[in-house]
Amino acid sequence: MAVIQVDNLRKVYQVHQREAGLGAALKSLLVRKMDEVRAVDSLSFQVEVGEVVGFLGPNGAGKTTSLKMLAGLLHPSGGEAKVLGYTPERRERGFLSQITLVMGQRNQLVWDIPAIDSFELNRAVYRIPLSDYKRTLDELTHLLGLEPILNKPVRNLSLGERMKCEIAGALLHRPRVLFLDEPTIGLDVTAQKRIREFIAEYNRRHEAAVLLTSHYMADVEALCKRVIVIHHGKLLFDGDLSDLVAKFAPTKTISIHLEDDRADLSAYGEVISREEGQITLRVPRAETTRVTTRLLADMPVTDFTVQDPPIEDVIETVFAEPDATALKVN
Amino acid sequence: MVRWGARTMRYLRLFGLFFRVGMLNELEYRANFFIQVFQTVLGLLVSLGGLSIIFSHADNLGGWKPDELLAVVGIYFLVGGLINLVIQPSMQKLMEDVRQGTLDFLLTKPEDAQVLVSVRQVQIWKLVDIVLGLVVLIVAGVRMGTVITPWTAVSFVLMLLAGAIIIYSFWLMLATFTFWFVKIDNILVIFQSMYEAGRWPVSIYPAWLRVILTFIVPVAFAVTIPAEAAVGRLTPAMLLGGLALAAAMLIFSRWFWRFGIKHYSGASA
Repeated sequence: MAVIQVDNLRKVYQVHQREAGLGAALKSLLVRKMDEVRAVDSLSFQVEVGEVVGFLGPNGAGKTTSLKMLAGLLHPSGGEAKVLGYTPERRERGFLSQITLVMGQRNQLVWDIPAIDSFELNRAVYRIPLSDYKRTLDELTHLLGLEPILNKPVRNLSLGERMKCEIAGALLHRPRVLFLDEPTIGLDVTAQKRIREFIAEYNRRHEAAVLLTSHYMADVEALCKRVIVIHHGKLLFDGDLSDLVAKFAPTKTISIHLEDDRADLSAYGEVISREEGQITLRVPRAETTRVTTRLLADMPVTDFTVQDPPIEDVIETVFAEPDATALKVN
Repeated sequence: MVRWGARTMRYLRLFGLFFRVGMLNELEYRANFFIQVFQTVLGLLVSLGGLSIIFSHADNLGGWKPDELLAVVGIYFLVGGLINLVIQPSMQKLMEDVRQGTLDFLLTKPEDAQVLVSVRQVQIWKLVDIVLGLVVLIVAGVRMGTVITPWTAVSFVLMLLAGAIIIYSFWLMLATFTFWFVKIDNILVIFQSMYEAGRWPVSIYPAWLRVILTFIVPVAFAVTIPAEAAVGRLTPAMLLGGLALAAAMLIFSRWFWRFGIKHYSGASA
């Protein structure tokens, strides 16, 4: 059963335009030119029970807007979204008590008091029975290593510690659908890894569906088998992460080891680096086999590997296209 | 009825919890308590000083006798304390949250959003104002030496309640404007200074100002009318009028809030 069902979802914002300068600013007090921005444009997809889906796109692609519509914060301008069978913007109790929203850039814990006191508030608001609350809190404390930090005022915690508490606070009611908007932003590598592992574990234990946005490809690679890529509010790709690379990476890299590292290889492909006999070439994906065969035949190659470019580079190529929709595959 | 009662109990419990958090919050900063006591006592002395100067020249002010005006001062502190205890800080927090986009978290909670925004920020030291206001009111009552009839007691409590509801609804409507204009802190400053005018019974002001203080910024309902009730001058018609207005404003402000929240679009796309 699909936990999240999105059909032709649209969101149009009215924003006012203003030219630079004081004069224009004063003028805008009286007259405002309104402009329409299509933040989300005919988006359709589904997420199944227990699925972790990466939601990718550059800044302003419409990721957060989509998440907010799914969490019931924004009313769609058109189309339909269903989450757990509910219409999100109606904000019914049955719906809200089964979802959660975590935003890496914003806090909901009360700043001056220990996280555990904020948790108590959430317990009351979500009406969590005490026994369930204790059990969940124990589990979260254990998984996230919260023991030493729960009783410190939130303002005294490091960013990583705070994020761990934020996530714990957002999961006390055991939501079945998690909307995570850049949950690891600004964290160091260790903290990122910890949170990533935790999300995977939570998903495994509770069969929760997770829709995750992140600018860190390490998050996406570690957690999401499937990714949805949007750009200018439109769906660009929906499928396995590995297929994304195959579809959008126009090149592969061939690394070879040569005794003679001064050999001219420009006839085979674009030389990216050349270090102590280790030469890296970029070749068009379709010609990889042909170039490899030729190289092996022509040169005294002692070692070689063929690789997909890093996922960051792939994503970058996708979004660098002047009109990314031209690449649309579905 | 049973459902209503259960719901009210629930909201009160929530308020209790937020009150506890407010206390935890404030106890981190102990100095605030002493500053608040100082500020309240100072404010009270200024009010009392004003009264004694006036009554050294006249024996009544707009039909109010000295001890009756003392009751007005008490109610002014009492109601002001109530506003500053929870209404004003919660509404200010709402505006801040709209500007920063953190209201999103509140809206994903399975509880009536209006209730949550209305009780979640508590400045506990304002209890000092409430306690001191009560003390002044009691002193005024004793000095007037009137026998407290059931009518006086009931009408006073009802009008105080109606006044609180009217002021709350008024604030909620003001704060709801943030959904469109985002930054409206200035309006709040205006309210604050208008409320200052409530220090005196509105009957001492010129007619135009009286109209403003009654119907545009409902300070009269918060202070003067409960005071009329306390000194036993309230007519049944005024009582009914006050209650009707409180009910109407509560309903209208709720409708307006819901309308506003539909327009809320978050601080970031």
